[in-house]
Amino acid sequence: MKRAFASLALLSACATAPHAPPATPPTAPSATQNAPPANAGSPQGPVAAQSEIAPPSAPGVSDGSPVSSPSAPAKATASAARPKPTASASAIKPKPAKSSAPGAQSGPPAATVVAPDTTVTTSKPPVATAPAAAPLDLAALKQRLRDTNAIGVFTKLALKNQVDDLLGKFRGFYGGQLKISVAQLRQAYDLLVLKVLALLQDSDPALAKEIVASREAIWGLLSDPVKFATL
Amino acid sequence: MRKRQSGLAILAAVAGIGMAAGQAAEGPSLAKDLTSVIALLGLPCGEVVGVVHKGDNDNIASCKDGHRYHVFLNADGRVVAQKL
Repeated sequence: MKRAFASLALLSACATAPHAPPATPPTAPSATQNAPPANAGSPQGPVAAQSEIAPPSAPGVSDGSPVSSPSAPAKATASAARPKPTASASAIKPKPAKSSAPGAQSGPPAATVVAPDTTVTTSKPPVATAPAAAPLDLAALKQRLRDTNAIGVFTKLALKNQVDDLLGKFRGFYGGQLKISVAQLRQAYDLLVLKVLALLQDSDPALAKEIVASREAIWGLLSDPVKFATL
Repeated sequence: MRKRQSGLAILAAVAGIGMAAGQAAEGPSLAKDLTSVIALLGLPCGEVVGVVHKGDNDNIASCKDGHRYHVFLNADGRVVAQKL
């Protein structure tokens, strides 16, 4: 009996030992580094394509073509399927607030984004401003997303692809190459945030909560061409 | 003989628990990861019930609804799900 327990302890130690190394496989960082910058013309990930222009994306799937939001065909569908906005892109472009410091990246943007809310709700300022005034630490958020165990490596890479696509869309929008409205960009952004939240909410609710809290601040960075240029 | 058999059974159970704990620390299983990827790419699947590992970042996923996908990382660093 003693021998059985001794062997039990020994083998249980052996069984747990190999799982000590860190979870992230060595291929992930190199893959993300090799990932090319998102094409300005690529409009959206397949999910976004489904929700906005479902018919063009569906045939590609049924044909057995790879689904990874390829840049060139998607560009064509975006320009063909979407009705052209009547107002010009320059007219819709959000104008940066001159009063706020344009170079500042993390602290001030959150304050400038939530400023209208605080001025409107003058009756209960401490309660209303407390969650909204949380400073946005984009680098920390990115690191936490990289480190979380709630999302697998493949999923993280796919998410990164879609984030790059969205940033490419913003780049194209500000560069004038992509005819798209701010509302459409906001929709794509919201969709992506929802995807991230859906992946995180069960396994890493703290991070999900933090992303929800930073949602508007991140949009503030994206929707301001000056701040976006500093990203 | 009986003692040895029961000892081995306990051993196997403990080893299994150890492996499960290790997996939990590593994050979601490959099947769950592929389920998320396929859903993220907007493809029908439901849930991945079988995975054939072909190589580094290269897998064949079999879905609960009968769909099969080749999920891999292409040369551009994009995750691709190709319907089979």
